[in-house]
Amino acid sequence: MSAQFHLSSENVNVWFGERHVLKDVSLQFPTNQVTALIGPSGCGKSTFIRTLNRMHELIPGAGFGGKVLLDGQDIYEESVDPVNVRIKIGMVFQKPNPFPTMSIKENVLSGLKLSGRKNDNPAELVETSLRRASIWNEVKDRLNEPALSLSGGQQQRLCIARGLAMDPEVLLMDEPCSALDPGSTRRIEETILELKDSMTIVIVTHNMQQAQRVADQTAFFLSEDGNPGHVVEFGPTDDVFNKPIDSRTNDYVNGHFG
Amino acid sequence: MEKLIDLSPVERPANAQPWAKIQPRLKGVIALSSVLPAVIALAFLLISGNEFMGVLFTVFLPLQILAGGFAGFYGFGRRGILDGLLLVVTYFFATFVLVLLVSVLWSVIENGGKAISPHFFYQNNVYVDPTAPLEIGGVGHAIIGSFLIVGLATVITVPLGIATAVYITETQGKSRGLIRSLLQAMSGLPSVVAGLFIYALLIASGITQYAGFAGSLALIPLMLPTVSRVAEEALRLVPKELRNGALALGAPAWRAFLQVTLPAASSGIVTAVLLGVARVIGETAPLILTTFSANNTNLNIFEGGMSTLPTYLYNYVTMGFDTSLQRAWGAALVILILVGVLFAAARFATRSTPAPKAKKRK
Amino acid sequence: MTAEAPYQATPRRKLVVKPSTVPDKVFFGIATAAAYSAIVITSAILIFLVLRAWPAFESQGLLNFIFGSGWDTSLDPIVLHIGPMLWGSFLVATIGVIFAVPMAISIAYFIEFIAPKALAKSATILVDLLAAIPSVVIGLWGVSLFSTVAAGWAQELNSVLGWLPLFSNNAGNFLRSPFIAGLVVAVMIVPIIASITREIFSQMDQEIIKASLALGGNRESTFRKVILPTAAGGVVGGVLLGLGRALGETVAIFFVLNLVYDDFNFYQILEPKGGAVASLILAKFGEATPAEIAGLMAAGVVLFVATLIINAIASYIVAKAQPWRN
Repeated sequence: MSAQFHLSSENVNVWFGERHVLKDVSLQFPTNQVTALIGPSGCGKSTFIRTLNRMHELIPGAGFGGKVLLDGQDIYEESVDPVNVRIKIGMVFQKPNPFPTMSIKENVLSGLKLSGRKNDNPAELVETSLRRASIWNEVKDRLNEPALSLSGGQQQRLCIARGLAMDPEVLLMDEPCSALDPGSTRRIEETILELKDSMTIVIVTHNMQQAQRVADQTAFFLSEDGNPGHVVEFGPTDDVFNKPIDSRTNDYVNGHFG
Repeated sequence: MEKLIDLSPVERPANAQPWAKIQPRLKGVIALSSVLPAVIALAFLLISGNEFMGVLFTVFLPLQILAGGFAGFYGFGRRGILDGLLLVVTYFFATFVLVLLVSVLWSVIENGGKAISPHFFYQNNVYVDPTAPLEIGGVGHAIIGSFLIVGLATVITVPLGIATAVYITETQGKSRGLIRSLLQAMSGLPSVVAGLFIYALLIASGITQYAGFAGSLALIPLMLPTVSRVAEEALRLVPKELRNGALALGAPAWRAFLQVTLPAASSGIVTAVLLGVARVIGETAPLILTTFSANNTNLNIFEGGMSTLPTYLYNYVTMGFDTSLQRAWGAALVILILVGVLFAAARFATRSTPAPKAKKRK
Repeated sequence: MTAEAPYQATPRRKLVVKPSTVPDKVFFGIATAAAYSAIVITSAILIFLVLRAWPAFESQGLLNFIFGSGWDTSLDPIVLHIGPMLWGSFLVATIGVIFAVPMAISIAYFIEFIAPKALAKSATILVDLLAAIPSVVIGLWGVSLFSTVAAGWAQELNSVLGWLPLFSNNAGNFLRSPFIAGLVVAVMIVPIIASITREIFSQMDQEIIKASLALGGNRESTFRKVILPTAAGGVVGGVLLGLGRALGETVAIFFVLNLVYDDFNFYQILEPKGGAVASLILAKFGEATPAEIAGLMAAGVVLFVATLIINAIASYIVAKAQPWRN
């Protein structure tokens, strides 16, 4: 069953120290589809997405249980090198974080340098990545300028280009547009729709309209009364928003809380 | 899908960190590579009888580097080599330096401890010959001298430093940038030049003889930048809302400062003072150029010779006798104790205020 | 449409924060006076020193004074040159920095990125405390305990690499050399540089470290390509601060170095001869003739100017190396 899905999680549980924050999260992410994770603040969506590329373990006191399967193999197995996982599963963060000491071009290529990979035609890779991130036209004349000279929205697209240069199978996006203006948000959503033909995307978002615009399927997370967060409902986006099964989902997507 | 699932939290199991499990073979390689070079180097050291440092750098270090690189390679391929190297180099240097520094600390404690006894703290050295045994004599006079000279310097510098910090933070004066640059330049003043300055100003020009207060004056340019900078930072950390609240209530600037800003920054100001004192309590060169040492206890800061702990140390080292050297160690230990106390006091003062991490983000 | 007069904004008023009541005026006045005292003090230092030093500069000639060699009050005309001392100051300071920097950065990296929280905290306190040890205490340790040990190392170094001019030694005696003085200085400035570097590492934006790890960077590549370049400016500032401190070091160097005024020792760091301007001042001060005092003043001026230049370069580098900090 799990071999059919590009990426999937089985009974993922997360602790921070002794505190249980995520319980029994089992989701499936089919190839070339966009999955949105929605829910109120603090319910564990960002924590969950960090378990998918083994960034979670970098937090002191982090605890984990369950499995995350990439093409059928558990990425938490002993023999798996987390660095290899992060090369295959890329991540874009909430706050744009280009490397301040590097130029735009160097930022795009930074992933290769950091992971020790070589590329025969860096200039071509830079152009391809920037095109895929829909920012090539804006920066093609100033590739050698510092990355911080770009606006916030441009920096975020640069970070996307940087992640794409690694040719990942999966792209994880943790509220990529929450720090940006509506114009940049729109550009990035268009980019997501273009990218899904070549990779699988998981996006955490606060913005329900965004989820409806870009996602094929949606998972609704909730944590109530101090209990650990869990998935209340998971299915095709249309169903979750228009025909929710659970009353809590209904309340959330209709703006009654959160 | 409204099945009733148990939502309550579950206790964290023992194996909640799958990434911490290292393959047993890799574990073995890491253990071996941590221990083997040390064992080989130790054996080499014992057998060949070569000097420790030489063996450390020419046998142990290269072996450990190779072992670390190999362990990294074994676990993670080509990438892992540099990783292993980084860890080896970091651990080696960090340990080396810490051991060196702790040995300095320890040697002061050990050697100073031999000279220290209760009377060492309060007796002076009148009628005490440099070669006399340690049962008589002490640094009592030097402690008092340090207290007086540093005290006078502190009494002058602290108000000056705090007022300067007030100028920089409270007023919109045009010279703020200039003052900060000058204080920065002053902080680079070599201590011996500060002593030369006071010598040129007061002693060579005949205004006064060598005296304790001249030493205090020489310490001022050494203390002022520290006190001013730390005080400025303490004042800056006070949230603007507090001050604005006072001003909005109709308080004049001086009241807002004295009754709101200053109390809020008090622990930082105390730290500024303590750090300033700690900085100058060990200064030797400026005092050598401006004061006369003496064996008796002199309470007159304006006249006569006055020994301080650092000048005492300096004098007794240059005398060269075994016993005088031991006394110097004793003085060093006393200085260390004082610095330690000042430090502990400074940490205690800042412990009650949570120091916000100044995130320099744009 | 009637022609409208071009829109004219009401003239802009300059808003100035000025004390209005008497107590406020006094408050601001005190603060201003205190701050200006900084100007007074710095100018006074320069003025008085230059004034007193002038006879020496005049009689020796500025360039000769700075770059010539020889310090002899028995000659007529009197010779006062600080060339070997000035070079020696830089040589010893450089040796100190070369040894101190790798060790300081290692400790800072260890504390911030490798050590577990508890160990890191204790190590930080230890390093900060060690930074406060007065140099005279380290000088004592240097002369009575460390010198013989370091002389032994120097001897080993000489026996293995003595064919290099750098490590040659013709005196047969390895004590009181720039090498030893440099090591003592290194011990003094390691805590300072380590403390500053650690502070810079701890204030680094965690987001870019996360970005580096998410891209597949491992510990070493993240350190070399992200952490170091980003921290570089501040670290250089810290190193230059340590360098300035090393240049001004007086007593400790005086204890462990053999000052030779007539000859330059350019690079033979294992030879027992060297120089340091600050130590020169200390050494000659006690029994100096008036003309000699002028020379010592002049030496002080040169030293102060040298440290000012280094501080200025440090500020420039720190500002330039971080163009993104705007």
